[in-house]
Amino acid sequence: MSESYDPEKETFMGVPRKKIPWWPTIDYVKCNFCMECDKFCPHDVYARIEGEEKKLIVKNQYNCVVFCRTCAKTCAPDALSFPNKREITKLIKKFRSENK
Amino acid sequence: MDKKLCVLPCNGIDKSLGVVARTVALKLIEKEPEMNLICPVLLNTSDERYETILKESNIVIIDGCMTRCATKLVDERNQKIFKRIFIPAMSKQFKIKPGTNLELNENGQKLAEKISIEIIKELKASEYDEISIEKKLEEFDFYEITVDKYYFQVPKDGYFFNENDCWVKPNGNTALIGISDYLQNRVSDIMFVELPKVGTEIEQFDDVGSFESVKTVLDLISPCSGRIISVNKDLKEHPEWMNQDPYRKGWFAELELKNFDEDWELLMDGSGYFKYMKETITKEKEEMDFKN
Repeated sequence: MSESYDPEKETFMGVPRKKIPWWPTIDYVKCNFCMECDKFCPHDVYARIEGEEKKLIVKNQYNCVVFCRTCAKTCAPDALSFPNKREITKLIKKFRSENK
Repeated sequence: MDKKLCVLPCNGIDKSLGVVARTVALKLIEKEPEMNLICPVLLNTSDERYETILKESNIVIIDGCMTRCATKLVDERNQKIFKRIFIPAMSKQFKIKPGTNLELNENGQKLAEKISIEIIKELKASEYDEISIEKKLEEFDFYEITVDKYYFQVPKDGYFFNENDCWVKPNGNTALIGISDYLQNRVSDIMFVELPKVGTEIEQFDDVGSFESVKTVLDLISPCSGRIISVNKDLKEHPEWMNQDPYRKGWFAELELKNFDEDWELLMDGSGYFKYMKETITKEKEEMDFKN
């Protein structure tokens, strides 16, 4: 990341990114650590942890592009899930109307 | 009805499913009076009667049973076919059994009605396909910026964008959707598209099909809610149009809008998106420069 990148200042649709709970959740019962999601994601959302039981974690959750869930399509064991889009849209609208 | 269409049903006096076939044809004529009805018996005995109609039209063939008399009558000709209907399969699909009586019962009427509505829907969707070809070729004024070797365009008017770099171009109660010039530049050469199904209902920000480039696979995230009424089938043959002309020839799907007044609140107009896109490009450039 560049020196000018400041996650605190990132917004999505005018809402601070940190107010939007959109990122993948890994189901460790299903995950086989094939790392396809990590290989796919260009935003460094995931990180590989050598020597740990959970060899893959969601490290940079706020890097995740809101409404993107393409990484889940690379997941053969279907171990990735995302929040409900309707709920997230509602939340964004609510935040925007409260901060007009 | 733009497309000339005729309908050839089973004669419909042998089995109840045949009667359904005949009833579907009569209902189609009732709903679309410009459609021509072809009598199978007359076609069989005196085919010059229908020569001109068959030459100029696409045909809907409706078979009532496995004997498929209607299909056999057409198979000998080089006829353009719009749709083949097999009543037993439709009966299964709609889970409606018309019984065995040659006088149609309530279920038989219901089944015929549903099938005719289905055919009309498909007919309308195919008409939309043709109309869309004209709509997407309109000229537009645009904002432009060149960064290093990349050149980006954003239409000034008529298009609205989400922050997932997808656009919607409303026109009355319908709209075209597609991806922005920035997104096509970012993913590079698009090789395949997965188009959504006509008839699918979508909410704002739902995934609507996907596209695969030499670098990645991405979903198109719809800027608006609605029902898919047509898709750009030409992209199957020419996915590169999404790169070459993302705002016109590269349109992805057409929707009947559901709630655009509300959807619009979360979208940017051309000027807003151009500003947003420039900021994104600047940020990316800084990151690249930092890495190098």
